Amino acid sequence: MAQIEQSDKGKKKKGAQKKMTIHVDFTPMVDMNMLLITFFMLCTTMLKSQTVQLVLPAKPDPNMKKEDMTQANKADVMTLILDTQYDDKNKPLKDENGNTIHDVYYYFGDVADTVLTVNPTQLYHSTYVNTGNDADKVIRTVIRKKNEKVMDKYDALKEKYNRKEISDEEFEQQTLEITKDTLNRPAVVIIKALPNATYENVINAFDELDFNKITKYSFEEVNAGDSALIQRYEKANPGTKILRPSVRSKQK
Amino acid sequence: MGKVKIKRKSTLIDMTAMSDVTVLLLTFFMLTSSFLQKKPTTVQTPSSVSEEKVPVKNLVSILVSSADKTGKLQDPAAVEGKIFIGFAGDSIFHSDSLRYDVLDYAVGLYNEQLPKLQAKGIKKTEQPIRLTQAQRDAFAKTSMMGTSFKNLTKVLDMDAAQRDKLMSDLTNPMIGIPISDRYDEEYLNDFQIWMKALRLAAQEAKTGYLDKNHIPNDMDHKDQIAELQILANALSKGQGISIEADKDTPFSVIKVVFENLRFMELNKFTLMTALKQKDK
Repeated sequence: MAQIEQSDKGKKKKGAQKKMTIHVDFTPMVDMNMLLITFFMLCTTMLKSQTVQLVLPAKPDPNMKKEDMTQANKADVMTLILDTQYDDKNKPLKDENGNTIHDVYYYFGDVADTVLTVNPTQLYHSTYVNTGNDADKVIRTVIRKKNEKVMDKYDALKEKYNRKEISDEEFEQQTLEITKDTLNRPAVVIIKALPNATYENVINAFDELDFNKITKYSFEEVNAGDSALIQRYEKANPGTKILRPSVRSKQK
Repeated sequence: MGKVKIKRKSTLIDMTAMSDVTVLLLTFFMLTSSFLQKKPTTVQTPSSVSEEKVPVKNLVSILVSSADKTGKLQDPAAVEGKIFIGFAGDSIFHSDSLRYDVLDYAVGLYNEQLPKLQAKGIKKTEQPIRLTQAQRDAFAKTSMMGTSFKNLTKVLDMDAAQRDKLMSDLTNPMIGIPISDRYDEEYLNDFQIWMKALRLAAQEAKTGYLDKNHIPNDMDHKDQIAELQILANALSKGQGISIEADKDTPFSVIKVVFENLRFMELNKFTLMTALKQKDK
């Protein structure tokens, strides 16, 4: 391991102090360290997953009357109906980049207005990514439009923040105020996943809500009114098939 | 004629610098990384733009298995939606006491519910669970548990390697914590019992007094209470429970988990996602 070398070159003088250089061989030390590094690289992960925080509405209190519950203003409600297409092998359809293709259908207001009104509720189709050239049709733009007052104020605030005029805490607090202020008419979004919608689709929808600063949302089941709306959409757009049995139930 | 002197050079290379570098690298890896958890199955989480990190003390993680991707199984969906629960998930030095506590609470709840159900003629073959210390220790050492209460003692009696093997065999009907969309306070499913145990443990820790009926060992509960109070805080902030599921799993499978949590009044939780770059 360690060597002590005498640096005399043949000449020996009596009484002269021997000059010694000490070499410590670090090779085993390096070996051991490399082994440890390998171990740590194999057994650990540097990837920290991100998280999305979700707050579901609390369990309804059976003692509470329906009239007492806070109801969202019909005009602020927007419903997203999520669907994912599958191929013949029951795997989600992918585009050329390997991303799954997800569909979002949406309508504003209440389904009860579907029939017997002059201006019936309409179902529209949209996607998460801009496939055509029409940027207005992407769901992000659509939700933004619905939540316009909040987003305009938020963008102004963000501009200020980017110019370092307000601190982090102020920014966070004011953002909260903007999204909570009822005068801004914050949109309320209801997410309804069709049986074939994948988890990724829901997370994508959730991202869009986060992007548009929507704090009020809930998950609900597709009801009869929605089905009627979808059926009408299918009729108006021949070739589309939205209401399909679950791929999972087909296999079982 | 002068002799040609051949200089003898030493072949020793000074490794000190090399050693310095490796030690630095080692320190870097030790500080920045966290240990991989032993998981019964791996899932590909969907990506999201959220930048919130996983809390350091990610206390309870719920893993929802995905459909088979290897193509070996005839019916890929057969292994989908199996539930596993892990306690004190991602931290490097987790403490086991949380696992002991939640286990004791859960088994207590199960034993409490069983006679009532048996009087109604349900679950006739099942026995109340009496855990030995060895079985409790085995539970504390298991990173992810996924079996029904009926099979709990059987699984805990196995040695660790055998248990891990069993847990990763998703085709086995024993595997996966039973979950259903039945929301009945009188007849909780196994997943609901675990979640109720969590909630109860957190609630009692807040009051600072643990009921002896729930926690059998009569020690001074100071450490346990401290541990459970961390859980209680995290739960109220919505960071105590995280759900990990595959991106191609139908949402209907995961919605059942959501609804079960909501039924157990744990309606704040986090979803694990991978990072996606924000476009625009």
